[in-house]
Amino acid sequence: MKNRTLIITTIVCLALIISVMPIFSACGEPSTEGKTLKVGITTPTTGKAAEKGAPMGHGNLDCFEYINSELGGVEGYEVEVVWRDNGYDASKVVTIVKNFMDEGCLMYTTSSSAMMTASMEVANRAGFAGMAAFSSPIIYRPPQHIYGQMPDYGDDFLAFAKYYMDNVWKGSGKPKFAIHALNNSTGKGAIDAALAYADSLGIEILWDGQAGKAFEHKADSTSEMESLTRIKAMNPDVLYISSTPAPTALIVKNAYELGMFPGITIASGHAGFTSVLIDIAGADIAEGVYGVFPTVNWGDDVSAMAKMTEYIQKNHPEDYEKKNMDYITCWAQSLIVAEILKTAVKNAGYDALAAGDADSWKALEEQGIQKLKDYAVGGLHGPVSYTAGDNRLSKSVRVFHVKDGDIVPLTDWIDAPVVKYEEFDWFGK
Amino acid sequence: MSLPCGTRNHNYAEDMAIVRTKTHRVLIIGLLVIIFTAPLYFSNYWLGVFNLIGITLIAAIGLNILVGYCGQLSIGHAGFIAVGAYTAAILTNRLEMPFLVGLIGAGVVSGLIGIIFGLPSVRVKGFYLAITTIAAQFIIIWVINHWGYTGGFLGIKVPYASIGGFVFRSESSQFYLIIIIAALCVFFAKNLARTKVGRAFIAIRDNDLAAEVMGINLLYYKLLAFFIGCFFAGIAGALLAHWIGFLNAEQFSFTESILYVGMIIIGGLGTSLGPIFGVVFIRILQQLLTVELVPFLESSFTMFPSGFATGITPMLFGLVIVLFLILEPRGLAHRWSLFKSAYRLWPFSY
Repeated sequence: MKNRTLIITTIVCLALIISVMPIFSACGEPSTEGKTLKVGITTPTTGKAAEKGAPMGHGNLDCFEYINSELGGVEGYEVEVVWRDNGYDASKVVTIVKNFMDEGCLMYTTSSSAMMTASMEVANRAGFAGMAAFSSPIIYRPPQHIYGQMPDYGDDFLAFAKYYMDNVWKGSGKPKFAIHALNNSTGKGAIDAALAYADSLGIEILWDGQAGKAFEHKADSTSEMESLTRIKAMNPDVLYISSTPAPTALIVKNAYELGMFPGITIASGHAGFTSVLIDIAGADIAEGVYGVFPTVNWGDDVSAMAKMTEYIQKNHPEDYEKKNMDYITCWAQSLIVAEILKTAVKNAGYDALAAGDADSWKALEEQGIQKLKDYAVGGLHGPVSYTAGDNRLSKSVRVFHVKDGDIVPLTDWIDAPVVKYEEFDWFGK
Repeated sequence: MSLPCGTRNHNYAEDMAIVRTKTHRVLIIGLLVIIFTAPLYFSNYWLGVFNLIGITLIAAIGLNILVGYCGQLSIGHAGFIAVGAYTAAILTNRLEMPFLVGLIGAGVVSGLIGIIFGLPSVRVKGFYLAITTIAAQFIIIWVINHWGYTGGFLGIKVPYASIGGFVFRSESSQFYLIIIIAALCVFFAKNLARTKVGRAFIAIRDNDLAAEVMGINLLYYKLLAFFIGCFFAGIAGALLAHWIGFLNAEQFSFTESILYVGMIIIGGLGTSLGPIFGVVFIRILQQLLTVELVPFLESSFTMFPSGFATGITPMLFGLVIVLFLILEPRGLAHRWSLFKSAYRLWPFSY
């Protein structure tokens, strides 16, 4: 009898707790108390992209800690960060973005293009602005409410190809580029850019059979000897890799073992070109690999470097030890979000933003994001401006190479042109 | 089914009725009232979570028919959901067909693809069959990524669902659409288990050799189980596509397939209530950990560096599932049935 009563009481209590939690959440007004500005941030801090997502989340949150504690927030208003780990899970990120909207956030950010791709239509339908650190053309071509913090994977390819033609290529005729692409939007960005611009850049693409089909690999690939053997037989001048760090390192190592490299030029897009690449491939093997990256490196003489270094050393020394460049990317992302909020408060006023509803989202987008002009981001990456019809906020990348185990810049900022992919018949097919 | 003391069945129809007592009827009506008035007191976020639960439930019911009733282990369910989602996307976006055509088309195409990958079930079973369904998951995703019509790696947009000029734009209208279809699926599955087909499935699950000796056509019924299970997956995929509005193959990962198996095991294999309990438990647990617990820990323990609590989510999630399997291996449906038995016998304990 006692047992039964206990069980029933426990079940009733549990049922009440579960049913009441959402009601509390639903009844909660978007917090305007204490005059805050809310933003949603979601990062894949756990899951299969955690190697990038964790330091990116650290960069985001540390930067807002700095903004609130040392700068007194934005225009005097504290920035309230609603942060959620999406675990690199596409179904989870959709409900997270709905949660951001319910919480009264003014905009949201993701670090990966995959998570933005999964959630963007929900945001576009609601007119809720989002910004992805790493992006591919599909998220803003044609432009709607989603913005790219930095140039996309296609821009990387174009910037590097231009650099190569201007500074490295000394031969006659067209240099032959082989593309080794990750089998998702990261790889697809480079492929689309190559399809669109190879002729005008004066380069020849070595496709894997038919045009538009690059040499592909998976994120958990353990050997690319077979694909590289086929590429080697085609005598490429350049092997361009658009992938994440681990497979990029694997391909560089395999190319080295096959005797292809050194000998040909190897370059990497920005998703794969970090210190992790050198850690995995080894400094000797990675020596001379080119890469494109849209931010500065640790230790560079830019205004935001000192404070960022102070916070990473205080909060996440493990990221600093690895000289993690993804941390820089998301510190910069938070600075841009703060600048957007500042611009919106100045242009539209706090009251227009306070509710965190559809009108506030519109005000933030029109009076904040679309009014951005030449914001320097503390020198951490290329200047940020909004140009009508182009939702990439920063259009510049720099070319680096690996020298003596370090990532060393070779150029100043190179602007990548806007490509209207949606005007090509093959785009999205 | 056992009944409360004093309740009798006077004819076959009463014996077969799903709703059999006044209490039962009142509880079901009460539950339906709560469900259908949910948009009045839940926020868009929680409606979104319920939508996800409804969609997951439809797919889990299909898997439960296949695995729980017919005993055909499938670990590629997310692949079949993907088939349905992309079929609906292609029919409604590229071919501009109505939503209902896309919905039914998604179920049929997914069911047919299920039959193809179910063919090995005639020769192999258990873990061997599981391996073939894993292959289905990877083959389907590869085709989606490399077939131009699906949008390949870039993905494909999907319009809002609409019926007869009414467009399901708001979260609450989508909630009603999804919940009605989910309710129909639950009703269908509940009845299926009591038909000749359902009994044949159970006979095959318990001993396929004995079932064959009794005259059950194994090839027909196993493939029928694959068709029905994957049809449900296709319907779920179509609803998911219209709800999210954009499809990419990464949304249908192998991890999702494993999670679906976990849901029906936690809920209770081979029971009509099992998928409901399993899906609600897993999806709510995911949300509570992500949206409530981790932010609570982060804001309460500010002396730790930002992001310290994230590792707790997968650990707790795994721990809860492990504890569940140890303490209640027969699933939540079994626990519910024990609770109901205790209620019927009350105030006596035997």
